[in-house]
Amino acid sequence: MAIITKDTPIGTELPVFARRFRNEMFAMGDVKTIHNDDVAAQREGLPRAVAVGPQVAALIFRMMRTCFEEGWIVGGKAALTFRRPVWSNDFVATRGVITDIEVEGGKVRIICNVWIERADSEKAIVGTCSALVPGS
Amino acid sequence: MTKNAQTRVEFDEHGNRTTYDEIEVGRDLGSLEWVITEQDIEKQCSIDEDFHPWFAFDIQEDVGASESQWAGIIAPPQIQYRPPRWLLSRTYNIRGVFYKWDFENLKEIRPGETITVTGRILDKWIDREREFMSYEAEGRDERGDIVFWTTRVHALDVLKRDTPRAGAGEDSGIKQEKI
Repeated sequence: MAIITKDTPIGTELPVFARRFRNEMFAMGDVKTIHNDDVAAQREGLPRAVAVGPQVAALIFRMMRTCFEEGWIVGGKAALTFRRPVWSNDFVATRGVITDIEVEGGKVRIICNVWIERADSEKAIVGTCSALVPGS
Repeated sequence: MTKNAQTRVEFDEHGNRTTYDEIEVGRDLGSLEWVITEQDIEKQCSIDEDFHPWFAFDIQEDVGASESQWAGIIAPPQIQYRPPRWLLSRTYNIRGVFYKWDFENLKEIRPGETITVTGRILDKWIDREREFMSYEAEGRDERGDIVFWTTRVHALDVLKRDTPRAGAGEDSGIKQEKI
């Protein structure tokens, strides 16, 4: 059952999810990539290996699926900016807050500001996500 | 920083990197047919640490899936990330870094169903001396219904555009077409 309903007030914070990445999570056999090898990353101009962006963003999607269940699976929307790197061994947490509620057909769309924070409190991913909840 | 970091990568194992001038705005990226397997769903759940009975991958014991309103296993929606990227990589060799990701989940994604993914180049621009490009894609199921749409922005390089291109990169944007 979804945690968020049409009656959940604007300003409500979504539950926090966190994850520790490890370099080996990005292994691709023997293939060296910017996600698992510092030298490969440095060759592209990065200081060291970075986590796979969509894999980091997936923590936001887990939060949205937990909060909205089927309203995220069908009707979920996202608009995300990857503004800072998450290193391949970083600890990250995702947060969200409800900012708006709109009627959409017979349902209600709940709009949230969402972001991923690194351990140093830098916001690495920012944006909005929304999902549908029953209207009655 | 290594000595090589002062140049942008010129080529990798898949050939020359696409340059900014070579990107053709409006170009049709063609289409690909994508069939998700239960193993793909299992892998996606594992790499994202995103588990739910709806995504239950043990179909011999799919209690969660059979009891859900979906009448069978479905995939976590973010599994749609890779196929549009594969489509882009069939035309352009872009490594770079991922900058923006917009999408909408319009229908559940099911194993065994063929999804046809099509796309085109939307735009390219320069901002703060870095080169960017955007593209859009959508996936349609066997009934022709749109399952998802997405737009993405990639920076072609981490380094500024006045950094000369020279030498090989270890990585490539072109990867095996599998989850």
